[in-house]
Amino acid sequence: MILAIVIVLAAAIALIGIFLLGFPQALQLWSKASIANRIQPLDVEAFRNLIDPAEREYLRRRLQPAEFREVQRKRLRATLAYVQVASQNASALVKMAEAALNASDPHTAEAARQLIDNAILLRRNAFVAQVRIRAAIAWPDSNTAAAPILTKYLQLNGSAMLLGRLQNPSVPVRISSN
Amino acid sequence: MLQAHSFFWNYLWISPNAYLLLLGILLIFKGIGRQRPAFATFAVLSSLGGLCLYAADVLPSVSPVNFWRVDWITLSLESILKFAAIGEAFSRLFNRYSSISKLGKYLVSAVGAILVFVATMLAAFSSGDSTVRLISGVHLLDLTVFAIECGLILFIYALAAYFRIPWDRHSFGTLLGFGVSSCVYLATSAIVTNANPSAYQRTLFDFSSMATYHVTVLIWFYFFLVPGKNRDKKPPKDDSDRRNSNPPASPGSGSKEDEASLQEWNRELERLIHQ
Repeated sequence: MILAIVIVLAAAIALIGIFLLGFPQALQLWSKASIANRIQPLDVEAFRNLIDPAEREYLRRRLQPAEFREVQRKRLRATLAYVQVASQNASALVKMAEAALNASDPHTAEAARQLIDNAILLRRNAFVAQVRIRAAIAWPDSNTAAAPILTKYLQLNGSAMLLGRLQNPSVPVRISSN
Repeated sequence: MLQAHSFFWNYLWISPNAYLLLLGILLIFKGIGRQRPAFATFAVLSSLGGLCLYAADVLPSVSPVNFWRVDWITLSLESILKFAAIGEAFSRLFNRYSSISKLGKYLVSAVGAILVFVATMLAAFSSGDSTVRLISGVHLLDLTVFAIECGLILFIYALAAYFRIPWDRHSFGTLLGFGVSSCVYLATSAIVTNANPSAYQRTLFDFSSMATYHVTVLIWFYFFLVPGKNRDKKPPKDDSDRRNSNPPASPGSGSKEDEASLQEWNRELERLIHQ
């Protein structure tokens, strides 16, 4: 009887999980405004500085070991926040590219697919990086290897720009306010 | 009304199978069967199996032992086809993106292996509902198959949600139908095999299972036959149309919709790269 109750509860949770996980995505419940709100600006230079091994070595040489670990933990927490923002932006870009996936123009559809592919790759790498960063916070002397996230993020921006350009080739796409 | 062999009972057994057979035939005629061969085969053969089982139940010439043998055969065949259809939907969803296809396959294989182990444990610890091995075996096989199916589908939904993978209509519908039915069937078979329900309660569970199957078939009808929203404008017919749809850049020459779309892109990309 206990086993029956456990299985019934598990089945009910699974059913709710299927609805909660599947429907918001498949029914496109995210409005354009909510997608836009999900995108957060990312300071690429600051991110680059945080993951720079030379910077880390410099701090290690200049600071006492205990002081270095304290500073490194703070840097790792900041890196973690950057990785999370990059991952969140990637998922928002997937939503934006989804609309162009069924475009009549094959180049636009391919660019949208490429953008989604890059965004998925970034999210995959970000997941691994987050695990490694969390481990490194506990042991700050270890290496975090978050550099691929930045590379993928910049690649993702390239794909996003390409798609924007293909969606309207007559007007140049601006990527920065500078 | 809620009695075995009542009109409602007969309807709930025959109609979903007849609808599923019709769906399978329509999929083949519409060419969707070529894109989704596993699901089309499942639709045709599973419905035929269901109708054979119904015939075995109502025909007086079929003995109870032979009925359970037919049940064993249809259940085994249906389970194989069902997992093939789930695998097909998964492949369609994940193979489009090289960044996740390989990892997805590894993860699903690993989760599948864990689920097989868990389902085997569930079957081993279940008391069974009959001393006749043929009957209790069918229900334990039900429990095992639905536990694996339910866990696998939940995992695929979770994986797709984490990576925000865009669903195609057919894969979503296929997995939603199997997901809903497997969750309800899992709960039902858990009660039948472990809680010793009365004959009347068993009949009620039969009704709930048959009604769920009906809903599942309607879900598949909706996702396979009702066209989704077309997100894109019609393609230009020729070069002159293309020129008209994409006029050269000059102030005010683009349509307001294009301008708004582009402005949105620019705004978001500016926010994205804040250097």
